[in-house]
Amino acid sequence: MNLTPDSKVIIQGFYEFISATHIAQMKAYGTNLVAGINPGSGGEQQYGVPVFDLVEEVIEQFGTIDTTIICVHPYQVLDAALEAIASNIRQIIIISAGVPPLDMVQLLRKAEACETLVVGPNSPGIIVPGKILLGTHPSEFYTPGPVGIVSRSSTLTYEIACELTKAGLGQSISVSIGSDAIVGSSFLQWLQILDEDDTTEAIILVGQPGGGSEETAARYIAEAIDKPVIAYIAGKQAPPAKHWRQTGTLATIIGRDPNFGTAQSKLIAFKEAEVPVAERPSQIPELLRKEIN
Amino acid sequence: MDLLEYQVKEWFGKIGIPVLPSQRIDHPTDLKRLKIRYPIVLKSQVHGAERAKAGGVRFAETTIDAIAAAQSIFNLPIWGELPEVLLAEAQYDANQEFYLAVVLDTAVCRPVLLGCKEADIDWESAGEKMEYVVVEQEFSPFYARRLALKMGLKGTLMQSISSVVEKMYHLFVQKDLDFVEINPLAVSTSGQVMALNGKVRVNERAIKRHPDLTEMAAKIISRHPSTEINSILGDWDGVTMRGKIGILGNGTGSVMATLDLVANAGGNPGVCLNLRHAFLTDKTPTTFRDRLETGLKILAADKGIQVILINFLGSIPQLEEVGQVIAEFVQSEKSELKSQVVRSNGSKSRREVSVLPLVIRLAGSEFNAVREYLDTIKTHSDALVVVENLDEAVDEAVRLAKSTVSKK
Repeated sequence: MNLTPDSKVIIQGFYEFISATHIAQMKAYGTNLVAGINPGSGGEQQYGVPVFDLVEEVIEQFGTIDTTIICVHPYQVLDAALEAIASNIRQIIIISAGVPPLDMVQLLRKAEACETLVVGPNSPGIIVPGKILLGTHPSEFYTPGPVGIVSRSSTLTYEIACELTKAGLGQSISVSIGSDAIVGSSFLQWLQILDEDDTTEAIILVGQPGGGSEETAARYIAEAIDKPVIAYIAGKQAPPAKHWRQTGTLATIIGRDPNFGTAQSKLIAFKEAEVPVAERPSQIPELLRKEIN
Repeated sequence: MDLLEYQVKEWFGKIGIPVLPSQRIDHPTDLKRLKIRYPIVLKSQVHGAERAKAGGVRFAETTIDAIAAAQSIFNLPIWGELPEVLLAEAQYDANQEFYLAVVLDTAVCRPVLLGCKEADIDWESAGEKMEYVVVEQEFSPFYARRLALKMGLKGTLMQSISSVVEKMYHLFVQKDLDFVEINPLAVSTSGQVMALNGKVRVNERAIKRHPDLTEMAAKIISRHPSTEINSILGDWDGVTMRGKIGILGNGTGSVMATLDLVANAGGNPGVCLNLRHAFLTDKTPTTFRDRLETGLKILAADKGIQVILINFLGSIPQLEEVGQVIAEFVQSEKSELKSQVVRSNGSKSRREVSVLPLVIRLAGSEFNAVREYLDTIKTHSDALVVVENLDEAVDEAVRLAKSTVSKK
């Protein structure tokens, strides 16, 4: 993961999910935004960024690009990401929401084969407060400090950053891996990154119903993470979503727990891993203080 | 979105999965012009399960039998749903019946092929009888053969079953499905296979890139009231509960967190909508502004909802118009109220003769202008509360919902 301010960044597409404000924020944060891609708009400027038709044209002019931020229409995300991979970009952040899951299946097969990190879709990206902003995190909620945040929800990430900042607790790295059904990078990968990061002293993990990534993360925390972790799970009171045959039948067939994916199962996993779970976002600073003081 | 059996079979036929000769029946008299031979089976085209148990499947030997059966099926609701059409199908002599499916497993991020040598599976114990194959890499027919062999099949039957699975997989990818199922897949004594019933669930996020599916969704929406739409089309990024506090947010996570907070504070969450995605009910591309407008209308139209709680933080697209949409909503609620008071003779229920209170939580500097704008409206309306803190917004919404009830 290259999160240094000199890493070169491009934006593919300027769809609904990115605005002039986001780009101005990124620039103010010192992010090295070299170009934008928007087929048909080559040679123009968008929000003060030079625009090209193809990723390879940018590479020709500026050399290797480290990260691309994809903000195209959800149905064009797969194509944009494949174009980036073909141009040897190895960090992809997908801001667009609502990418059809089978497109993600195809993209992940390719990304795994090419060792490409995919964050998102439906993610605001990554922020290292005071250093670099790769995405659309509203920077005013953040201050530099020792708390790492890894989350599946964009808005909840800000909610928690905001509560921490109000309580005088700054953040080291904050990432939302995306709340779509299929996303690229996992909680596990980010726990590992935060565990190795020297500025991070404690970690907040934010989850929601669906999938089994919180459970896997809980087991990993118990086994491999020495830094204190606080969890928060949204959607405890929400009725269970409609799944194939309503419940965890597929899960049972594949040899998983019938409760698979429920908020309940995630809470149990954190309890077993002895990870404190906050009742509500505003309770997080108080739980954190107990752990780091 | 779930398809009806006759729609699924049209797809099966086109892609080469064997199906019986059949005919769509829109009215019992259609049976007079039946092109398939008797005996036939008539099947109610509804989304609910256990159709046969409920009496939605009848066998008929003659036209007279068939018309009588059709008349009774057309009037038989299954899980509250009356069929709009029936399917008349030839009968089939099955020697064996299998179960086949392709499902997307979002936990491993891969499609999974499923197969069982029994059709009437007891889903409690499906784990022991069902065979599965994860399609790890790009699909190739060997994955289907692997499943057929795991099911214990041999020779030509192994090949004909794996060929059906292969076609199911192609359909799955072509149409962006969450799952496709054949239950049962019948095998005759001569080894011929036949899909006797099929189910398909299309992924909601992909509907709009398939013109045929977009049209089907539009038909469902125009025919059914909104609560029914939800059960047919799936959760279009929202949660339907029966409570009094409707929630709008700009992300799944914060909508869910708000719902939890409302419930924990003793309130009853109602319909909750995430405005980050387009609704399935939108036929054309939408902006955030459109979705906010639609969201407010959906909540206002819900008779059970007594307070609307909006939770926006960070940034949202078309921000400058958000204040305007909210202001217009508050104004229209008021003018509607006036006209109702003029018309009514005091017999209206509480909800109909009061303005729907709106609690708006806005956090982030991008919202400063909106907040200032809403402050100017607030002086004219007591039903608009704007706060910055989430817990406070929730408490306010719960308090307002309770006071509305007590005044009833």
